[in-house]
Amino acid sequence: MNPTTADRRVLQSLMAAGVVAVAPHVGELPFWIIAVFALCAAWRYGIEAWQWYRPGKLVRLGLMLLLLAAVFRQFHTLLGRDPGMGLLITLIGLKFMELKTVRDHVVSLFVFYLIILGSFLYSQSLWLGVWALLAVTVCTTALVHLTQPTSLNVTQRLRLSGVMLIKAVPLMIIVYLLFPRISGTLWGLPADAHGGLTGMPDTMQPGSIRNLSESSEIAFRVSFEGAPPPPRELYWRGLVLTEFDGRGWRRGPMGGIQEVSFMPLNEAVRYHVTLEPSNKPWMLALDLPAIRPKGARYQPDFTLEHREPIRERLNYTLTSYTRYNTGTLERSERVHGLRLPGETSPRARALAGQWLREHGTPQQIAQAALDHFRRENFVYTLSPPLLGDDPVDEFLFGTRRGFCEHYAAAFVTLMRAAGIPSRVVVGYLGGELNTAGNYLIVRQSDAHAWAEIWLAERGWVRVDPTGAIAPERIELGLEAVRRLELQGLALGNLSSEAIRRALELGWFEYVARHARWYWDLTNMTWYRWVVDYGKERQERFLASFGFEHISWGQLGGLVIAGVLLVLLVYALPLWRTKKSLDPPQAAYLRFCRKLARAGLARAPYEGAHAFAERAARKRSDLAASISEITGLYEDLRYGPQGPDSRKFTTLKKRVSVFRA
Amino acid sequence: MSTAAAEVVLGRRQLFMLPTRFGMLFALLLVVQLLAAINYGNGLAYALTFLLGSLAVVSMLYTHRNLFRLRLSAGTCAPVFAGDMAVFRMRLTNESNTPRYGVALLHGKKEITRVDIPAHGFADVDLPAPALKRGWQQAPAVTLHTEFPLGLLYSWSRRVEFDHACLIYPRPAAPTPLQALPMDSPEAVSGMKVGGEDYVGTREFQPGDSPRHVDWKAVARGESWQVKQFGAGLQLTVWLDWDTLAGLDTEMRLSVLTRWVLEAQQQGMLYGLRLPQQTVHPSSGEPHQHECLKRLALFGLKP
Repeated sequence: MNPTTADRRVLQSLMAAGVVAVAPHVGELPFWIIAVFALCAAWRYGIEAWQWYRPGKLVRLGLMLLLLAAVFRQFHTLLGRDPGMGLLITLIGLKFMELKTVRDHVVSLFVFYLIILGSFLYSQSLWLGVWALLAVTVCTTALVHLTQPTSLNVTQRLRLSGVMLIKAVPLMIIVYLLFPRISGTLWGLPADAHGGLTGMPDTMQPGSIRNLSESSEIAFRVSFEGAPPPPRELYWRGLVLTEFDGRGWRRGPMGGIQEVSFMPLNEAVRYHVTLEPSNKPWMLALDLPAIRPKGARYQPDFTLEHREPIRERLNYTLTSYTRYNTGTLERSERVHGLRLPGETSPRARALAGQWLREHGTPQQIAQAALDHFRRENFVYTLSPPLLGDDPVDEFLFGTRRGFCEHYAAAFVTLMRAAGIPSRVVVGYLGGELNTAGNYLIVRQSDAHAWAEIWLAERGWVRVDPTGAIAPERIELGLEAVRRLELQGLALGNLSSEAIRRALELGWFEYVARHARWYWDLTNMTWYRWVVDYGKERQERFLASFGFEHISWGQLGGLVIAGVLLVLLVYALPLWRTKKSLDPPQAAYLRFCRKLARAGLARAPYEGAHAFAERAARKRSDLAASISEITGLYEDLRYGPQGPDSRKFTTLKKRVSVFRA
Repeated sequence: MSTAAAEVVLGRRQLFMLPTRFGMLFALLLVVQLLAAINYGNGLAYALTFLLGSLAVVSMLYTHRNLFRLRLSAGTCAPVFAGDMAVFRMRLTNESNTPRYGVALLHGKKEITRVDIPAHGFADVDLPAPALKRGWQQAPAVTLHTEFPLGLLYSWSRRVEFDHACLIYPRPAAPTPLQALPMDSPEAVSGMKVGGEDYVGTREFQPGDSPRHVDWKAVARGESWQVKQFGAGLQLTVWLDWDTLAGLDTEMRLSVLTRWVLEAQQQGMLYGLRLPQQTVHPSSGEPHQHECLKRLALFGLKP
């Protein structure tokens, strides 16, 4: 191979490394940055292969200034994640132009490693992790190529770097798990945009929850300590809406800091929530949460609010009670819980007035409202008609087709008109139990709205008017409702047999669902051990081995001990004093051992030939095979024609059947 | 030198390792990556940093293994004249199952050559060294060096010296008229002619041949270097005698005698060598020439 081909091959390796390292940035950075890199790489290859124009020092300097200006123009700064990566990628592209020495190549490769790390600042997904492993392998292969430009072919290089990386993984895991993690950052993080997050809106207009239900994105995951409560009790409280302006619902004023307490009426449920970022502060909790996790505010309406909008996955552990008595009502809460705008549906007010006259207790009035929904041909649908300026009136007396939010809004309006303090609660209902990992997946499509009324003896009581129309929604979840609706079945009074038949999964769906669950579990595990593995989780991990309150020094000792242990395991076969035998010699020695067991030991000074003669004299019955084996061995080891695999096979066979 | 063996196997104690300057740069890269990982609290960044760090650590084993148990043994070294280059051939034998790549042979700080050695195989390397003085010259001490596989670390061996000597003939003096003492035998006396005019054929060029006798036409045709041989009908027998050179110092005498040996051999004479207390009886041919030159090379040196 002449030097130019070798150089070109090395260049190809380097470019391959560059391409895989930069690839994850496509889509994260402006397109022109990637294009500059690709063009520079192509140009350099053109110089190498077809003697294209080679830019001089001045041209390169000019291009560099141009790129700096372009990056500045793009980001209005040169600091921070995006401009930093942009500069790194464009300038390493430019560096291709002047690659000359081994040093230039090595520096480029090291920058590629840095670029791979840069891509983690955008995403830490499992896919990216897998891709990064590939990219590191390609970069390392290129490094091997740089060090050994001609000795190894591409397969050997790939195998060498692959094996080295595989050997590095156990070491990496030890250091990864034990390296002391700190909470917080060393210096301020650049403010990176957190856009495009889906979450519960802070107001409820007709249709807002319905829009959310279109998304199958995961809202949060819950793992229970112990058995999960039944589906009908899985009301995940998000926020409470008390202010009604005739069309939409908003939160009321928060009543300041206040000791919130309620009387639990059943067993506590402990669970762990992993909340997806929503860019909203709501921390979902099972109705009703009893404790306040770190970093949260407990609101008087029993909701939990994070101090700032949630932009990264959030983990918290909670205790909830599904039966409770909240006791007395504050004066201001009563006022807010009864307020209705003056122009709200006179017909609804009349209806409520009629119930108030007919029934004595608030409980009976609420029941009357639910009966009304059931009797008067109200329909629960995922595609309700659009409503105008007085949506409650239109819904109650016109369309009678609605989604949970319509029912909740109408019910609370009726209750308020009847003088019962009431409010709308939005959150999620139910969830999908992932049997693969035994945790609950709650999706945006599980978003739900229900009502709370205040009763003198019981405090705030949850009433879900949707349950009166479509009990399937509560018992089976929205996904089931969607399926039933697709099959044209009317909700409300389906027999359990009909539902079972309608919801039966085909084998394909069954497999697909389980595959999805395992995939979710994989992602969850990845998240737990990669994205979320910080100080807290490290402490928990160490505590599970009995290392509580371990100092950094002790951790360092553990790391070093672990690394040395693994290295020793790797090095032992190398340092073994046993001399590696020539395979024919090993076979011959086996033959000698067999003879020795029969009392015919070979003396240290005895050559193979002399020994064979002596052995043949002593054991004339074996003379033929002794001479054959010795002959084969001598041919293989000392013969002029060198190794002969056929002869070697014969030798092995003869030795193995040899019986002395 | 007396303790040196004919071969050396590189063990753990003969091998050392340090990071290269790329290794230092790599360490810097790891520090930068670690700072980024800590600052962003980024799990994958930690993982990448530790993976690369572990890779460097694992590569230590590979670098070490690349020289470990490599066997260096002395090969041949053709005798040369003082002032020429002696070429010491050394054999690097790899008795392990893993090939060794990019093993560099260093003399002092200078890289002489770089070889790959297949598994259960060997590679021969030639180490040229100027031949300074007549006599036995030991091969210079060498070190082996490798940066395999990543160039982040380099391993090198202790200076390896082993029993590997090259015979250095005395430097031939400038052509000096042959002052040979004719032999006592009649046929030797009968032909006093030095050299002959008759062209008797050609033979392979050898160092020391007179350029006047090179078949330049053949060289110009691109053929190998041949020397035209001239001879007379009879072979001349001469004694090359130390005593004829009285008045010159020892080294000069040896140089002149070396020249004469070459001339005599070239002209196809039968020649003998007389040195104080040593005599080589007249003969001719390569082995004879070597014997004479060896006597001259080692004359007066302690064995």
